[in-house]
Amino acid sequence: MEQTAKAPVLEFKPEIANPLVQEVMERSGQPLVACYQCRRCAAGCPVGEETGYITPDRLIRIINLGDREKALSNALVWQCVSCYTCGTRCPNEIMTGRITETLKKMAKETHVEPLKPKVAFFHDTFVKSGLRWGRLNEGEFVSFYELKNFFKDLSRFKFKAIYEEIVSQIKLALSMMGRKRLHFGVQSSKGRKELNRLFKKSKAKKQA
Amino acid sequence: MEIAYYPGCTLQQSSSLYDVQSQRVFKELGIILKEIEDWNCCGATSAGKYDDFIAIAMPSRNIGIAEQDGYSEMVIPCSACYSRTLVAQQRLADDPALKDEINAELTKKVKGGLKVSSILEVLLTTVESGMLADKVVKKYKNLKPVCYYGCMMTRFPYGVPVPDDVENPQGMETILKTLGIKALDWNYKTDCCGASAAINDHDTSINLMAKIMQDAIARGANCFVVTCPMCQLNLDAYQDEICKKHEIQERLPVFFITELVGLAMGLSPKELQVDRHFVDSVSLVQELDKELEAA
Repeated sequence: MEQTAKAPVLEFKPEIANPLVQEVMERSGQPLVACYQCRRCAAGCPVGEETGYITPDRLIRIINLGDREKALSNALVWQCVSCYTCGTRCPNEIMTGRITETLKKMAKETHVEPLKPKVAFFHDTFVKSGLRWGRLNEGEFVSFYELKNFFKDLSRFKFKAIYEEIVSQIKLALSMMGRKRLHFGVQSSKGRKELNRLFKKSKAKKQA
Repeated sequence: MEIAYYPGCTLQQSSSLYDVQSQRVFKELGIILKEIEDWNCCGATSAGKYDDFIAIAMPSRNIGIAEQDGYSEMVIPCSACYSRTLVAQQRLADDPALKDEINAELTKKVKGGLKVSSILEVLLTTVESGMLADKVVKKYKNLKPVCYYGCMMTRFPYGVPVPDDVENPQGMETILKTLGIKALDWNYKTDCCGASAAINDHDTSINLMAKIMQDAIARGANCFVVTCPMCQLNLDAYQDEICKKHEIQERLPVFFITELVGLAMGLSPKELQVDRHFVDSVSLVQELDKELEAA
């Protein structure tokens, strides 16, 4: 009988595993070592059907075994919708949704290519747009996001993807316009100066 | 009564109908929403995936503004803004060093003690006081809504006191009951619509919404009721695509809770901007109105 997809067998080496577990636990605030693999998180995970064999419990296992490469680049990290169902059902109060968020940031800092570049583009562009004006401007934000996608797809010769993206976004934009739900004006907040000072502070801390 | 009001970016743009409805409905209930001055973007769920510090700092500035301008309560209709603000507030309360660090750059500093309320919490106070029941002039008995809470009303990325049942919240049902509307029981009330995945991981999001749609139809619903502008936009704007892909014939209007409260109080669909939905919603309202007239 053909074997269904399985996680690769990993040999446990504490000297490799411990630093990774420690880092993820500290940054995400989640007690990963408390996981006893009951899989309640997996049962409730809405993207379980999309992510294949990587369910929240297995992501935790991968981290606990110290497989840094796999931890930063797998379907769950990049397809997790941060609904936090895992965390509300975990008997040990581990919120894997927070762990995937942490791993996204770790991937970025160590220049690991995101498995789903669009997801990374989306969140980066969103926050940058919010900080630039102090408020988010939906039109500007989506334009920048689509530009990034466009160049990424272009560099990989994914012309069909470019075409499909353009068609679907134009369709959405037109139907939003018909319902006066597309806005062209710019909204801003003077508070952006304060926010950008805080953002600089955060960057400086990371480099220290 | 006056309370502070944080509309958030989306209520000034794609979901401005929610802003109009909220202000109008609360005015009718004797609650004046005072938009806080020069508020900023809360960072939504993206900030938490980008930079932990800024994810707390962004909503903190808004909390500071509301507190320094003398408000004791702030209502936030958008579920994402509500969740982020509530979480930031709790983080600052738990970590004085973080609070000092953020306050150092803020003109209006966070003191602590502001009550951050969702739209349901404020509406529920009018249910309790009897104010809402007094204002109801229309009882849409044939409206069969399913209440869709999504993620952000009951599940938070950080330990905050949750105002409703995590798995089976009842806030919207209670409000609808006061309006004479019986909401249907169903399975997907706190499931995820995919939120930003509708844009950045489209197929995943469409699959998630198809399940939500299918259960609503199986229960015999004729509309959704939501509080979150992201859920509203997703279920509304992509409904045609979801239904075509999954061979669903029905189309269900996706109402904001404020819309149904407003209609029940006798406000006109035009005033509540019911015509700004993607799925035709005005027809259902007209149909219900006709039934009421006939009765």
